[in-house]
Amino acid sequence: NPIVLDLAYNSIDFPSIENRM
Amino acid sequence: SVEDLFTTLDRHIQRSEYEQAVKVADQVLSVAPGDEDAIRCKIVSLIKADNIDGALSTIVACSKKFPFDFDFFKAYCLYRQNKLDDAMESLKGLEKDSAAMLLESQILFRQGKMDASVDIYQKLQKSKIESLEINLVAGLVSAGRASE
Ligand SMILES: [K+]
Repeated sequence: NPIVLDLAYNSIDFPSIENRM
Repeated sequence: SVEDLFTTLDRHIQRSEYEQAVKVADQVLSVAPGDEDAIRCKIVSLIKADNIDGALSTIVACSKKFPFDFDFFKAYCLYRQNKLDDAMESLKGLEKDSAAMLLESQILFRQGKMDASVDIYQKLQKSKIESLEINLVAGLVSAGRASE
């Protein structure tokens, strides 16, 4: 079977925490 | 202070030191158990550290205690564990943004529903997502539609 890339993984991002520092 | 902990947490994230990031997120949570940023940082760090079991148990535990929505993370972790029906169930209530659509398409592909999987990639083609064509072609070939 052809390979499917895990593109959904790239959508998993950290929240912005700049205003928490 | 919590501010200092977030500064340390940010440094670990910037350096891709995800296991250490989990520890610092836990330090924040020990003083502020319902801190949504810390919970999200912990879940994402666990996923990036490839600790999918740990991410999922954190999601389940925090979903019981706090009113935050971790359904996309939950769906992704279930997909990684190949629990495809449960993953699809977690996606159901979510807004169909490109992240949810990409994950849905990957789940459908693993379920052998090639036409439905391809359909989503074709809808996303306008969105200029990196490497989308690779999955679209894989879906078309698997669906016996290589000529397209
Ligand atoms: K990975």
